[in-house]
Amino acid sequence: MDSYPRILTKNWENPNSHTLEEAKKAGQYSVLEKCLKMDRQAIKQEVLDAGLRGRGGAGFPAGRKWMFVPDAEKRQGKPVYLICNADESEPGTFKDRYCMWHDPHMLIEGMIIAAYALECKTAYIYLRGEFKFIQDRVDDAIAEAKAAGLLGKNILGTGFDFELYTHQGAGAYICGEETALISSIEGERGQPRLKPPFPAVEGAWGCPTVVNNVETLAVVPWIMKNGAKAYSAIGTEKATGTKLFSVSGHVMKPGVYEIPMGIPMTSFINDICGGLKPGRTLKAVIPGGSSVPVMTPEEVSKATMDYESIQEVSGSYLGSGGMIVMDDTTDMVSALSNLLRFYAHESCGQCTPCREGVGWMSQILIRLDKGDASDDDLEILLDLANNIHSKTICFFGASAAMPVQSFLQKFKPEFLAKIESARAKISPQGISTNSEAGGPRAGAK
Amino acid sequence: MPVVKVDGIEVTVENGVNMIQAAALAGVDIPHFCYHQDLSIAGNCRMCLVDVEAGGRGPDIACNMQARDGLEIRTDSDNVSKMRESVMEFLLKNHPLDCPVCDQSGECTLQDHYSDHGNNGSRLADIKNHAPKRQTLSEKIILDAERCIACSRCVRFGDEITNTGDLRLFERTDHTEIGLFPGEALDHGYQGNLIDICPVGALTSREFRFQKRVWYLRETPSICTGCATGCNIVVEHQSGEVFRFKPRRNPSVNSSWMCDEGRETWNQSNDASRILMAKVEGSRTDFAAAATAAAELLSGKKVAIVLGTKGSNEGNRVMALLGSKLEGSKLFVLGGNDPSDVTSSDNLLKVEDKSPNRAGAKLVADVSGGAGTENDLKSALAGREFDAMVVLQDDAVGRMGGATVPNVIFIGTHANETSAVAKVVIPAAAHVEFNGTFINKDGIVQRFRRAVHPSGDSLPDYSAVDKVAVALCGSVAGSDGAEIFAGLAKDSPELNGASWSSISGTGHQIGSTQTAGAAAPSK
Amino acid sequence: MSSNQPSHREVQNNGHGEISFSAEQEAEIVDILGKYPTQKSAVMPLLWMAQREWGWISHDVCRLVAKRLELPPSHVLTVATFYTMFKKTPTGEYLLQVCHTLSCALVGADNLIAHIEDKLGIKDGETTPDGKFTLMRVECLASCGSGPMMQVNDDFYEGLNDSRVDDILGSLSAGKPPSTPRPEVDQWTHTPVS
Repeated sequence: MDSYPRILTKNWENPNSHTLEEAKKAGQYSVLEKCLKMDRQAIKQEVLDAGLRGRGGAGFPAGRKWMFVPDAEKRQGKPVYLICNADESEPGTFKDRYCMWHDPHMLIEGMIIAAYALECKTAYIYLRGEFKFIQDRVDDAIAEAKAAGLLGKNILGTGFDFELYTHQGAGAYICGEETALISSIEGERGQPRLKPPFPAVEGAWGCPTVVNNVETLAVVPWIMKNGAKAYSAIGTEKATGTKLFSVSGHVMKPGVYEIPMGIPMTSFINDICGGLKPGRTLKAVIPGGSSVPVMTPEEVSKATMDYESIQEVSGSYLGSGGMIVMDDTTDMVSALSNLLRFYAHESCGQCTPCREGVGWMSQILIRLDKGDASDDDLEILLDLANNIHSKTICFFGASAAMPVQSFLQKFKPEFLAKIESARAKISPQGISTNSEAGGPRAGAK
Repeated sequence: MPVVKVDGIEVTVENGVNMIQAAALAGVDIPHFCYHQDLSIAGNCRMCLVDVEAGGRGPDIACNMQARDGLEIRTDSDNVSKMRESVMEFLLKNHPLDCPVCDQSGECTLQDHYSDHGNNGSRLADIKNHAPKRQTLSEKIILDAERCIACSRCVRFGDEITNTGDLRLFERTDHTEIGLFPGEALDHGYQGNLIDICPVGALTSREFRFQKRVWYLRETPSICTGCATGCNIVVEHQSGEVFRFKPRRNPSVNSSWMCDEGRETWNQSNDASRILMAKVEGSRTDFAAAATAAAELLSGKKVAIVLGTKGSNEGNRVMALLGSKLEGSKLFVLGGNDPSDVTSSDNLLKVEDKSPNRAGAKLVADVSGGAGTENDLKSALAGREFDAMVVLQDDAVGRMGGATVPNVIFIGTHANETSAVAKVVIPAAAHVEFNGTFINKDGIVQRFRRAVHPSGDSLPDYSAVDKVAVALCGSVAGSDGAEIFAGLAKDSPELNGASWSSISGTGHQIGSTQTAGAAAPSK
Repeated sequence: MSSNQPSHREVQNNGHGEISFSAEQEAEIVDILGKYPTQKSAVMPLLWMAQREWGWISHDVCRLVAKRLELPPSHVLTVATFYTMFKKTPTGEYLLQVCHTLSCALVGADNLIAHIEDKLGIKDGETTPDGKFTLMRVECLASCGSGPMMQVNDDFYEGLNDSRVDDILGSLSAGKPPSTPRPEVDQWTHTPVS
């Protein structure tokens, strides 16, 4: 791995990196004044040219998203809102919390520049409710910045007015979906909305709104300081720059890693994350947060850490970069059941397939995990997942369906084995000694 | 005017139309639960998912799809069948199999769509979620939260129509539950509409609960007589008995709604004060005898003819024609409401004026040389200008605060202050019992139709008045309501040649040849 | 929605009786309202304020917040019941929220929870008789690399094992929350120092 700049994690070892004093020493806010005097379109273009893709999971080019916002005339004087998505609730993902904990000023500077480019005067950071202790630190940083004239009226004498506030969530994974986040900050239930209309045209409070992930915004100052070319020189052609990967599960050194896009997955796991525990072998990897399809060891050996490779090699996605590593001690049925319990708990309940179907899939998996299921149940489970995928208001349906589809596709023998071993325990009278509450068994079709 | 295709059928539609509406215009029915043309788009049931062949990306929901040039959708593909089947399966996952005990049975959208699009078999081997049944939300509404499919129509109704923000979906996941803020009750005048819009048996009528299986009911379109708005309704009845009123959609009059006060008049034709037999000097008698007695009372006298703001156009027409045969008689149209009317109004549908046909009575008066007001009549009576008064339907004496004459003939449906002092009381049919027309406050002529037989000895008001004429001097109009209306239309330039057969289901706007309510589709 | 929280119907109607915001809280509310273009947006901040003051979201709290923001109480309740962190019932002095989603489960979260249940004598959703601890299984707390872990009220305690948990519970019982709940960071990565 060639040497590359630590764009996001540069200051994380300094225990006081979060203070304005230390942040300034580290170079935060050094490009701000120049940006606030630049042509707005030029800033958007720079970010587009850098190839920065949304770091929350969708991987959509940030510069292009910014360019969807209509100009002042087209939006008839409506204000533009920028909201930083700090809801970080995707299982396996834990990078945004560290960005905000260690380097809130990097994020703040990124948001000021983004807001300026978008002609936005009021922005929010929506943090998940559990991050209160992090929110307190971000609030302190905002107060420091304001006192230093970096926020508020006439920033650095450039004439740009900008206010930044934090907003506390209250425990709902679905609020990480941008339209649900918008609903939530409006004071409604955090339920996703139909598209069209799209947030860039009609978002929060009926106004054009851009929602960006923490990491995405935090990278902006570096791009503006060092240039799009320098950023796109790192990583691969389509997946530029560095990314924060959250690694968890059965590795020796779980944690957050900043690496350039494109390094081989195997070498990432073995050389950087410390590899597996002694005596264990790799069984499965979920590369980008629990919502993306699972990868087999063979697929892992072929993949590099970027959007395109992971998709081509395994049909999975880089997503949020929340990598969960599972070794041979893992019961894949239990793992899937655990995930579906999560999704059943988090479904907002708005649309039919997700509301009823995810709960149903979870019920089947709980039975399956105990072996109290049949081959037909596997068929039904897959059919339910297929019937949910792409039929829902938002991506949550697919997020719950993809683990089911991929686990069944790539680890089917294990599911069958669990059913078999339970069947083997059936007594001669035909009564399963393994069955527990599961309701009356209606015969399958 | 965008041109779109639905299943290969091309159709040109108005701007702002969604694809469910466009498909309907193409003759294609797209099943749905949460979509309602008079409420905002929710898009949560997913039943209206269609394939998009051109002009967009699919599959996507038709309710949120604006018609635009080049858009082509497909509803008859295998994929669409599968999607519909799966939505039905998901809806039935937690839905209780209550059909045998559920009032909605027979008019349940879940049943209807299941028989058309379901997969005919259950694969469920797990437990259904439960929620409280039989919750009393108010005097009028019962909630069975288990049956709810979370379509949010009732929530949107409370937010968008009545502005009461009462019903809400609480919690989340498949434990999402519809309800009120605990301890509160529904408290507005439009609760009945919740029953209509709920596609399943979650919100049902307390009054109607277990009264009648709906497949026995026949439907007759008609008009509510509660006030001058004239909401379009459907009268539901079986074997001569009315069981309920439901609103009928008319974008120009009442949208899809009606108020509870009006809805509760369904039983009015049957209530205790209904006049079923003729009376002369307080004694019951047959119709012919009463008509003769009335004729005797009128003959040679100066008669005040009080047109009915609550009577039909046809009845008023015959009253005016009768008047033309009585020398010295004068027409009156009395303002105000009867003392027994509940005067409540709101900014939705209910108006102060509780007469369904004031505009009609005025129109008849206009073509007959004009009419006096209640004040005119009061002073005339005080000045003993009239010896007799014949009243159609209205409580004339009540409206004039008790002023009367010795010789009163009352032709109407319900006992009131006028019938109490009348020497002759003649039973008229209630509006669910005959065919006629009213004109509402906005000048829309609307037909009401006969659903059940006239009760007792009653006759349609125009026939009843003509019977008096027959006894007096000979028929003035015959008993054919259509002909009577045609005669009125001939004399009235405002009616512009309208006839019973030309009046559409959504009414006829006075002063135009246009059918009222021909519509730009709403939301 | 979770099995460890009561439904919105089960909450007693007279949870807090007559309550009102203090002058200080009012000033804070005015501040909060100034951050958003609509009053409705202040629902969540006010619910948080109310929960910090009165411990949980009763129907009385809903009515109070609704009145202040000129919203129907039903709207406030529907928002409150949508989110898991707004409590619909009083909990113990320390709310032990232990993550049991996949990454933590892979490194022993279920065993840790069993240990806590054993030690405190309560199950998921229950409170100890002395009112000190309520145990709750929760979903992913974005600490997947430092699991198993738990959130106690507002604080995160990560990189747990049975003995660390015992220490923490002991300190909390004595009224002295451990001073550095967050894991120390390592050089290049951010693994907890065990």
